[in-house]
Amino acid sequence: MADIIKLGLFLMLVAAVAGLGVGYVNNVASPLIEKQILKEKIDSFKEVYPGADKVENESAAYLKSDADPALKEINIAYKNGKQSGVLYLVQSKGYSGLITILAGFDISTHKITAIKVLSQSETPGLGDKAKEPKFQDRYRGKNAATALEVVKTEPLKEHQIQAITASTITSKAVTKGVNAAREHFGRTFVDAKTN
Amino acid sequence: MNLMQEFTKGIIKENPLFRLMLGTCPALAITTSVENGLGMGAAFTGVLLASNIVISLMRSIIPASVRIPAYVVIIASFVTMTDQLMHAFTPGVYKSLGIFIPLIVVNCIILGRAEAFASRNSVVPSIVDALGMGLGFTIALVMVCTFREVLGSGTFLGIQLLPEGIPAILMILPPGGFITLGCLLGFLNKMQKKYAL
Amino acid sequence: MQEYFIIIISAVLVNNIVLSQFLGICPFLGVSKKLTASLGMGGAVSFVLVLSGSITWLLQQYVLNPFKIGYMQTVAFILVIAALVQFVEMVMRKFTPPLYKALGIYLPLITTNCAVLGVAIINIQKDLSFTKALVNSLGHSAGFTLALVLMSGIRERLEEADIPESMQGAPIALVVAALMSMAFLGFSGLL
Repeated sequence: MADIIKLGLFLMLVAAVAGLGVGYVNNVASPLIEKQILKEKIDSFKEVYPGADKVENESAAYLKSDADPALKEINIAYKNGKQSGVLYLVQSKGYSGLITILAGFDISTHKITAIKVLSQSETPGLGDKAKEPKFQDRYRGKNAATALEVVKTEPLKEHQIQAITASTITSKAVTKGVNAAREHFGRTFVDAKTN
Repeated sequence: MNLMQEFTKGIIKENPLFRLMLGTCPALAITTSVENGLGMGAAFTGVLLASNIVISLMRSIIPASVRIPAYVVIIASFVTMTDQLMHAFTPGVYKSLGIFIPLIVVNCIILGRAEAFASRNSVVPSIVDALGMGLGFTIALVMVCTFREVLGSGTFLGIQLLPEGIPAILMILPPGGFITLGCLLGFLNKMQKKYAL
Repeated sequence: MQEYFIIIISAVLVNNIVLSQFLGICPFLGVSKKLTASLGMGGAVSFVLVLSGSITWLLQQYVLNPFKIGYMQTVAFILVIAALVQFVEMVMRKFTPPLYKALGIYLPLITTNCAVLGVAIINIQKDLSFTKALVNSLGHSAGFTLALVLMSGIRERLEEADIPESMQGAPIALVVAALMSMAFLGFSGLL
C-alpha cells in the first residue's frame, strides 16, 4: 500500500514538473503565436485588397442572421476615412473538407480585387492547386454583377472561370464561396447605392 | 571511439526507419516535400535529445514499475513544447506537418530509445545516441522526400527541376509514399547484402 | 442522418486511416501476416479507439477548454489512452477471459499506436459534436480493421509467391499497400 502511494506521488511530481515546463513554454510562445496569426491575417488582407489605410471587422453590422451561412466574416477596408472595399471570409465545402477563402471587392468599381484560399485540405497535387496564384488570379477583376461559372476549357465569357485540371469539384467549391460573397456584396454595397 | 560508434550506429546499422522499421507513419505521411522532411527531422531530433537527456539524468530515481508512464509524460511535455515553439517560429512548416507534430509522442523510436538506451546509460552517451538516431531518421526522411518531391512535383526544396507535365502526381499522393518506402527498403536490403554493412 | 452516413463513408473508405492518412502503419505492417491476428488487432484497436475517442472528447470539452489549458492536449490525451489501455486489459482479464485471450496480447501495443491518439486529435480539430465524434471514431476503427484484414488476406498468399530475397517482408508489404491505397483512391469520387 505504502508503495502504491509512493509511486503515485512520484508520478504526480513528474507530471507537475512537466506541467510547469509546458506552461512556461506556452507563456513564452502563445503571444508569438497570436502575433503570427494576426500578421498572417493582415498580410492576406493586403494581398486581397491592397492599398487600404485600415481594415475593420464589421461582421456585426453587415452579417445578418438570414445571410448565406457560407459567409463567416465581413471586413470593411477604408481609404481616406471612406469605405472603399469589402473583404469577405467565406467557407465552402470542397472535395475533402472545408475551404476557407478570403475574397476582396472594390466598392467603386464593383469588381473582385483578388481572392485567396486561406486553408484547405484538398488532395495534394490536384485540388490543393487552388492555393496557387495561377488559379486564384483567374478571379481577379471579375465583375461582381453576374454569377461566376466554372468551365473546363478556356473561358469565353467574362463571368467564366477555368477549372483546375482534374479538380472540378474544388474549383466549383471555391467559386460557390466567391459567389456567396458576390451576391451579398451586390445586395448590400451596390444596389443600396444606386437606389 | 566508443562514442563515435554510438553516433554512427543510428545512421546505418540501426537506422530507425530503414532497419528497425520504426516511425513509419510520419515517414509516409509528411514526406511530400524535402522541406517537410527536414522540419520533421529537426522536431523529432529535438524531442529525442531532450527526452534522452532528462531520462538519463533521472534514471536512478525513476522507480522501475512506473517508468513507462513517467517516460510518456516526459516525452509528451517535450512534444508539446516543440509543437508550440514551431507554431511560433516556423508557422509554414508547422502548418504542413499538422497533426504529425503531436503524434511524435507515439513515435515508437523515442520511447524505444528511452527504454533501451537512456535509462541505462549516462548523459553523454545518451546525447550522442539521440543525435545519431535523430540524424539517421532525418536522413532517411529526406531520402524518401527527395524521391517523392522530385518525381511528384518536379521540384527539390521548391526549385523547379523537371518541366511541368512530366512529374507524376501519384508520387505525392498516398500510394507514392508506400511505393517509395517499399522500393527504397528493398534496394537498401540488397546493398546491405552486397557490401555487408 | 445523411451527415452521419457521410462521416462513416469518409472515414472507412475515402479517408481510410491507414491507406490515406498513414496512421497506425506499425501494426498494419507488423500484425498483418495472419488473418486471425489481424482480426484480433482490429478488434482491440476498435475497442480502445472508440472508448478513448469519447473520453478524450469529454476531457477536452469539460476540462481543457473551461480551464483554458488546451495546450496540454497532447499530454492529457496520451495519459488517458495509456490509462485506458491498462484498465481495459484488467477488466478483460477479470470478466471476459476468452476475449482477453483473443485480444489481450495486442493491447499493450495500442498505447503507442498513433491511430488512437490521431483520431482523438482529429475529432477535436474538426470541431465535431459528441455523437459525430463517436461516429467518426467508429468509422475510423472500421476502416483500420478493413485495411488490416484485406492486407492479411493478401499477405497469406504472398507467402507462397516467389519474391526476390531483398524485397521479402516489409518492402513487398509496402508495395502491396501502395496498390491497395491506389485502389482506395478510387473511392474518393463517392463524396
